[in-house]
Amino acid sequence: MKRIESRLNTSSAEFQANAAHNRGLAEAFKAKQHKARFDRPERDIERLENQNKMYVRERIQQLLDPGTPFLELSSLAANEAYDGEVPGAGCVTGIGIVSGREVVINAGDASVKGGAWYPLTVKKTIRALDIAIENRLPVVHLCDSAGGFLPLQADLFADKYYAGRIFRNQCILSKMGVQQVAVVLGHCTAGGAYVPGLSDYNVIVRGTGAIFLAGPPLVKAATGEENTVDELGGCDMHTSVSGVADYPASSEEEAIAIARDIVGQFKRPEKTRTEWQPPEDPYYDPSELYGVLPQDIKQQFDMHEVIARIVDGSRFHEYQPSYGKTLICGYAHIWGYKVGILANNGVLFNDSALKGAHFIELCNQNRTPIVFLQNITGFMVGREYERRGITKDGAKMIMAVSCSEVPKFTVMCHGSFGAGNYGMSGRAFDSRFLFSWPQSQISVMGAEQAANTLADVKIRQLQRQGKKLSQAEIDAIRDPVLGEFKRKQSAYWSTSEIWDDGILDPVDTRNALGISISAALNTPIADPRYGIFRM
Amino acid sequence: MHHAFKLEENEINVELSRARDGYRVHIGERVLPADLRTGADGRAWLTIDGTHHEIVVAARGDDVFVHVDGAAYQLRYQHPLDRLAASLHGAAEDSVRAPMPGSIVAVHIKTGESVTKGQVLLVMESMKMETTVTAPRDGVIQAVQYDKGQTFDRDALLLSFEPEVKA
Amino acid sequence: MTVDQQRLGEVRARVAHWPFASVLVANRGEIAVRVLRTVQALGLKGIVVYHAADRGSPAVRMADAAVEITGATPVAAYLDAKQIIAAAKSSGAGAIHPGYGFLSENKAFCEAVEATGIRFIGPTPEQIDLMGDKVRARNFVEKAGFPVAPSAIEDDDPASFVERARKVGAPLLIKPSAGGGGKGMRIVRDLKLLESEIERARSEGQRYFGDGRLYVERYVESPRHIEVQVLGDGRGKVVHVFERECSVQRRFQKIVEETPSPALDDTQRREICETAAGIARSCSYRNAGTVEFIFGQNGEFYFLEMNTRLQVEHPVTEQITGLDLVLEQLCVAAGEKLPYQQTDIRAQGHSIEFRIYAEDPARGYTPTTGPVLVWQPAQGEGVRMDAGIVQGGEVTANFDPMLAKLIVTGSDRNDAIARADRALRDTVLLGCKTNTAFLRRLIAHPAFVAGDVHTGFLDANPQIAADPPLTQATLDKLLAVSSLMTRPMRDVADSVPDMHAAMDGWRN
Repeated sequence: MKRIESRLNTSSAEFQANAAHNRGLAEAFKAKQHKARFDRPERDIERLENQNKMYVRERIQQLLDPGTPFLELSSLAANEAYDGEVPGAGCVTGIGIVSGREVVINAGDASVKGGAWYPLTVKKTIRALDIAIENRLPVVHLCDSAGGFLPLQADLFADKYYAGRIFRNQCILSKMGVQQVAVVLGHCTAGGAYVPGLSDYNVIVRGTGAIFLAGPPLVKAATGEENTVDELGGCDMHTSVSGVADYPASSEEEAIAIARDIVGQFKRPEKTRTEWQPPEDPYYDPSELYGVLPQDIKQQFDMHEVIARIVDGSRFHEYQPSYGKTLICGYAHIWGYKVGILANNGVLFNDSALKGAHFIELCNQNRTPIVFLQNITGFMVGREYERRGITKDGAKMIMAVSCSEVPKFTVMCHGSFGAGNYGMSGRAFDSRFLFSWPQSQISVMGAEQAANTLADVKIRQLQRQGKKLSQAEIDAIRDPVLGEFKRKQSAYWSTSEIWDDGILDPVDTRNALGISISAALNTPIADPRYGIFRM
Repeated sequence: MHHAFKLEENEINVELSRARDGYRVHIGERVLPADLRTGADGRAWLTIDGTHHEIVVAARGDDVFVHVDGAAYQLRYQHPLDRLAASLHGAAEDSVRAPMPGSIVAVHIKTGESVTKGQVLLVMESMKMETTVTAPRDGVIQAVQYDKGQTFDRDALLLSFEPEVKA
Repeated sequence: MTVDQQRLGEVRARVAHWPFASVLVANRGEIAVRVLRTVQALGLKGIVVYHAADRGSPAVRMADAAVEITGATPVAAYLDAKQIIAAAKSSGAGAIHPGYGFLSENKAFCEAVEATGIRFIGPTPEQIDLMGDKVRARNFVEKAGFPVAPSAIEDDDPASFVERARKVGAPLLIKPSAGGGGKGMRIVRDLKLLESEIERARSEGQRYFGDGRLYVERYVESPRHIEVQVLGDGRGKVVHVFERECSVQRRFQKIVEETPSPALDDTQRREICETAAGIARSCSYRNAGTVEFIFGQNGEFYFLEMNTRLQVEHPVTEQITGLDLVLEQLCVAAGEKLPYQQTDIRAQGHSIEFRIYAEDPARGYTPTTGPVLVWQPAQGEGVRMDAGIVQGGEVTANFDPMLAKLIVTGSDRNDAIARADRALRDTVLLGCKTNTAFLRRLIAHPAFVAGDVHTGFLDANPQIAADPPLTQATLDKLLAVSSLMTRPMRDVADSVPDMHAAMDGWRN
């Protein structure tokens, strides 16, 4: 495979300025992440210490094999919600290595509101379990939750993708033969009791761990019966009397060590075989990605330069290099795994959409996972393109993406606007993993465009009422719309709402994709079958 | 940190991982590249953090024996499940172990007998000297492992107490 | 100096005429090997007795024949005179070499052996009897005009023993009359404790030797232990083979022995050696023997005791003189005359013996046990290893914890010390802790380097016995090796998929 010849001038003023800008954005992201991970009210930290509990990240560190990676998912979930008081949505999820096995970790963070489940906590947990289902990854649950956050119960309890889905997903996993172990490190009350209850194995810590449908106060209120926590649902009762729990542990460390030993008993999945060759570092330094990305969301850049900084040896076999050039298609290897790459190099025209659909079919035919690198302003509009059937060609691409059987991975590299988001496997299209770069943006159209459109509607409405507006009055209508739009098209909003699986520092993309692809290959790839391509 | 070795009286945590180009030993906050090639007769070549050392090694059960830098050392692997369970269950006073190898000169108690703290339980001989072994607490003798004249190794279980009944 | 090959050749030519053609070694460990080596070098048949615990030992492997003996304990088997004599008869042994320890200084055994017509390679029963009783030996030496320390003997008048002991004055040393090897000895510095210490010594003497009789003598503070090797043919001819300095001791047991003694000048050497030869001559001594002296800081010396056997530390003497002491014992036992004049015995160089013990100096020299997983004795110029262990064997609490003796010889003392450090460093025994690292610390101590030691040296310098703190570099190596050799750890590392392993501890 031929190496991409970079045309980047790394000593140019533009490169340097971009690099400084994007490095700053990456640092700002890391700072936010650090705050979400570690910034906690003093009293919450003290409470954990008093209870002799480890912080959730220490627990995960102990659970993971030493010197192995952990791909944390949605680290900034809920960061734009609940006045920022529920960092990370009060739980930590991710993919890591335990006893040599790839597992999903689903850990409650008791340092945030006692680990209470907020609506986004539920969403993040369900997403983690969906990932386990889609990629057949065993799950280790580290349970430490106060239960559902009652004031918001209407937003987390009853709907199809609310809390019940967690338990449903656990059952589906079990039915699939994907194993789960729960470690009860705090109270698992009411619904929470089913997390260990529905796991194949569970471990409970003496003293701090408890499992019950209703805690002592509720039982007293309901029946007048008085109980201690230990009597009602403690370690020894459950491991020796009820059989609700399997392994007693005297400390969190021991419980985690037992859990590691249990995971060590899990059978190793047969990986789906796809093309693979020994990995090679990219020839071009991934940190040059900072200089590749422009500072303005509207400014174009050559996606070949991005591909060259993610794939093995910066080598790329480009498909149809001279046709439909606004969509780059081709093969490369990431951490040795062969992938097909679709990357935007401009607006999608009829030819680029057809090229994309064709290439997705190729990848499905030869069982090659697909990576989408999004920087898309949308499909081309205008009389000529409509007459050529841009909608029809876009539909072909969306059909190919939707029905694709090979695992898909999407990275929001820069802009993701309009139907381009769909054609390039946006969130709705079941990419196994979807990550965003800090400066990326998602919306149905550009912010200025949208604000102007909205303002125009309002102005025309007022004009019809005979009012004439000054520029100041127009601005007063337009500016709040623009502000709200900008906020909600930013990667931080996306990630807060869990429209992605987390923001990535661009230099981390290669590893994140490597872990994702490896995980995805636990699931067999079905033969491709599509709906009707509108010809 | 899960894994640990006991070296003399100290328990030292250590982890092992594998990186792209070989193993890594995690000691405290430090991570050192390490490689071990073993040859015949216990001879081995250790590379650690870029330096090479010719050493001699042997293992038996959980014990690792290493001759390095002109001296021999013994390290005993502590399995995380044993280590973590022991750190809390800790009924050390339920058993009396030999402080050194030796032989039994006299046994003063019988199984099932009640003893008081400080009472002489048995007399052992080691290094040409007699040592009396006394009761670490009040209790009932559950089992006596050796008869007069028998020899034992260091840390051998000499006798055990019935577990203490907590009030 | 290497063993005198000419002498060996001459003797070998005569052994066909000796009254015995085979020798049974009534011992075990390194000394059994040592004796067998000379026996076999002479073309005699070497037989050894062994307890089951020693089945795979080097002596059993090396011997031309081996006879199993049994006992309530392994030690008891080697102390069972009847069984050993029966073994000698059944195997057709013409002579018995008792080695050291066990039955080597047992008069009854010696008599029983000779009564069957088998030669006892050692002194006469009378000499054993004389020198085996400390009190009688002391009186004999005193009467013969040689120096002895002020003392009180219980047997002289048991009723006044405590009173007479008190008169000897503090500090004093209580010893069992029948004892040896430091067993049951007690130092009394505070005379208030005299009576209780006497009782304790009596009970130990009773238990070890079946004899509770005691005697006390003046304790020489910071004394050296200097002994002289003698050889007598039992026909009046006695020569000395120079001295050995054995002052480095722990718990009254020798650890390091060397010759020549760094404490003696030529005049003192001649005086002490001739005194020893004189004592042996007074009883017309037969066999190799050792006369032990206490040597005070001011150069005064007193007779301590005479060992009527081959000593553990005999090799240093062999190394600097070229004599094979076992060969000389065999010749004397065969009835040959000593062919040497005193002036024929010459020494050259310096030799030091290190007793490699299965023990932990940092824990009060407590014995250690364990498998001998790897045994790689040091090699090289001037290095001799007399070992009783074999790789694959096991060190148990059944026997004395001495595993081997490292004998290092150099052109002078500093040369020998330098060679010793290398040899100790290169001696590898894995599976059972030994004192080799301690011995290296000991010989690096300035007082040892200066030859300025006494029998209380190690007690006065306990830091030598303490394990020095490990350097981080050594600890790193140990942890790395151990981790890489421990299956559960290696399994975890190996089971991580290659890609994830290559990413190391990456976090996003």
